[in-house]
Amino acid sequence: MIPLSWYLGLSAIVFSIGLYGLMSHKNGIRMLMCIELMLNSANINLVAFSSYNNDMTGQVFALFSIAIAAAEAAVGFAILMSIYRMRDMINVDKLNILRW
Amino acid sequence: MAMENLAFLIPLLPALAFVLTFFLGKKLPSGGAIIPIVAIAISCIISLAITMGLLQNPEHVVTQSVHWFSILNLGILIDPLAAVMLSMVTFVSLLIHIYAVGYMSHDPAKPRYFAETALFTAAMLGVILSDNILQLFICWELVGLCSYLLIGFWFHKPGAAAAAKKAFLTTRVGDVMFLAGIVLLFSDIYTVYNGVLPEGVYVLQFSEMFHLIPELVAINSTILGMEVSHLTLVTLLFFGGAVGKSGQFPLHVWLPDAMEGPTTVSALIHAATMVTAGVYLVARTFPMFLAAPDSLIIVAIVGAFTALFAATMGIVMNDLKRVLAYSTVSQLGYMVLGLGLGAVVGAEAVGISMFHLINHAFFKALLFLCAGSVIHAVGTHDMRQLGGVRKVMPITFATMTAAALALAGFGIPGTGIGFSGFMSKDPIIESAYLYATETGSWMPYLFAITAAFLTSLYIFRLIFMTFTGEARTDYGGHESPSSMTVPLAILAVLAVIFGALTRTSFYHFIEETFVHMDIEALAELGGYHLAHHGHEPLLVLWMPLIVAVAGLVIAYLIYNRRVVDMSRIVSRNNPVYKLLYNRYYQHQIFVEFFSVKIIYEGLALAGYYSDKMLDWLVNGTSYVLIEAGDSLRKFQTGVIQHYAAAVVAGVGLLVVLIKLVMEVF
Repeated sequence: MIPLSWYLGLSAIVFSIGLYGLMSHKNGIRMLMCIELMLNSANINLVAFSSYNNDMTGQVFALFSIAIAAAEAAVGFAILMSIYRMRDMINVDKLNILRW
Repeated sequence: MAMENLAFLIPLLPALAFVLTFFLGKKLPSGGAIIPIVAIAISCIISLAITMGLLQNPEHVVTQSVHWFSILNLGILIDPLAAVMLSMVTFVSLLIHIYAVGYMSHDPAKPRYFAETALFTAAMLGVILSDNILQLFICWELVGLCSYLLIGFWFHKPGAAAAAKKAFLTTRVGDVMFLAGIVLLFSDIYTVYNGVLPEGVYVLQFSEMFHLIPELVAINSTILGMEVSHLTLVTLLFFGGAVGKSGQFPLHVWLPDAMEGPTTVSALIHAATMVTAGVYLVARTFPMFLAAPDSLIIVAIVGAFTALFAATMGIVMNDLKRVLAYSTVSQLGYMVLGLGLGAVVGAEAVGISMFHLINHAFFKALLFLCAGSVIHAVGTHDMRQLGGVRKVMPITFATMTAAALALAGFGIPGTGIGFSGFMSKDPIIESAYLYATETGSWMPYLFAITAAFLTSLYIFRLIFMTFTGEARTDYGGHESPSSMTVPLAILAVLAVIFGALTRTSFYHFIEETFVHMDIEALAELGGYHLAHHGHEPLLVLWMPLIVAVAGLVIAYLIYNRRVVDMSRIVSRNNPVYKLLYNRYYQHQIFVEFFSVKIIYEGLALAGYYSDKMLDWLVNGTSYVLIEAGDSLRKFQTGVIQHYAAAVVAGVGLLVVLIKLVMEVF
């Protein structure tokens, strides 16, 4: 049986890739994908712990977070689409509309 | 008797008249004067009826009291002292109101005038009726407010506005002392009751205060190394209030300036209302003064000094009304002196002081109304421009002469013949003589007798300069309408005969006020030794008359026969004249030095620096906050990645912290 630490290690690697991507890329869609990666690494943790502890709660929680990730992606794409229509690009460091 | 149940109406009716006249006066003829006249007439009838009842049975004091706070009440107390004052105030005020219908007939602001005088009367009646010191203080302040409104009645004149302010601020100094006295008295009563004030006992009621006098005298504290009885402090603070309201030195400066109001207002202030409030306060709390060591001596000295000081200024004034104003200050000095002599004559002091107050109210109101009559007809109050007015205004001349004779105190000692001023001023001077022989302090007697001489001199100077001789300018003039001359005639009759009529019964009646108190014991508490009038030397009895005649003769020789050329003496080079004419430089000292230099400029300087400091504080705070906000603003870049980094850093920090916390604790 694959030990728990391997899952956690995989999860950490995926999370780090996601975080790196989030920090370094400027394309909005790539950043959304990186967020998906980070969420999935958390899902890996949840499922791993669930199986390790023989408790279904973690798996249910993983399904829940996948659903939320899907919703977040939908909203995120919608925002990016409207930004694209407004500015003709989705380069986040050129967007200062979050600033007041 | 049913009248006694109506006692509460005495101040309420004029107060109601104030409201009605204020709102309805414009729609009624002559500014709605009929409303206050009717209201005050009813008050006068009630007051006179109660006084008659008290004359029959002085024990039957009218008291009504309603619960207010747990230990305070609102109530009225009409004992002989209050009854006499009530009758005088309502009566004189009624005459002045009737007179004012004629005097103010050309003024566009009549409703305001009659409303304010009605309130003035109501406030004064409230002062007299109060059965507790707090209610008295409330009405006292109302009197001050009304005097401010009425002195500044012609507020568009800068002089009137300034005089109103001066009156308000000067009397305020006294009022603050009075209030401090009440606070101190309350705290002392609190101490007497060991911190538990009994429910249902109204602690500031006069009867309760007098009841506690022996305990209050025992409370001492050390001030400037001297052991001072708290009762002395309380009474002196009360007297401070009286000094402000009754124009005693050094707070008399507002009274001559109060001439800026209409003459009828001057008559009201100087005869019936405002200035008598201070004397009444001291008379009302007289048992406390009697039991307080040293208080009465200070009262006597202040009174005697004021009497002389004001009289010296009266002899050089050229303004008809100003002479009378200084005369009022001087006569108030006599009243206060009379009260102060209680240190020797006991409760009789209240009698002689109140007797002079009542007589003075009649003849001073008359003097002012006569002066008003002259001013109304002639249009000037500079005596240098008048002269020979007798021919145009015979009634005014006759009544004014009667008032002058009363003020100067003409009468035959040892008999019941004399003008009212003689009947009331003589006992004060004789008591001052008794005071001198008993205590060895001659100052009050000498000041009083000198002031009597000057009184006669200045009032006949006024009469001769205004009414006799040839007209100095072409002023025209006519006798006043009957609404003005009838009150003059009534007052003149009173000024002539009132003193002689009531001479014997008056003191006895007033002394009934304190019949329940052991005056000898109270005087012992105060450390005074009461004496009784013996047989004064004949010279002492005749002295007031001698100086009065001397004043009359000198005034006649100088101002009528002109044996001395006054224009030589009256020059700016004569230092004595200069000092008197400039009123001892009081204006310079009080206004330009104290008010302007010390208070105004001092406050301005303090204000400048406090402004600077506040500015610095406010600007500094805003600078720090703006800088802090600015630097915080720079965190908000709008770049999503920075936010993400902040979130990650924050979560990382949190994890580390939680780990640390779990490891350590």
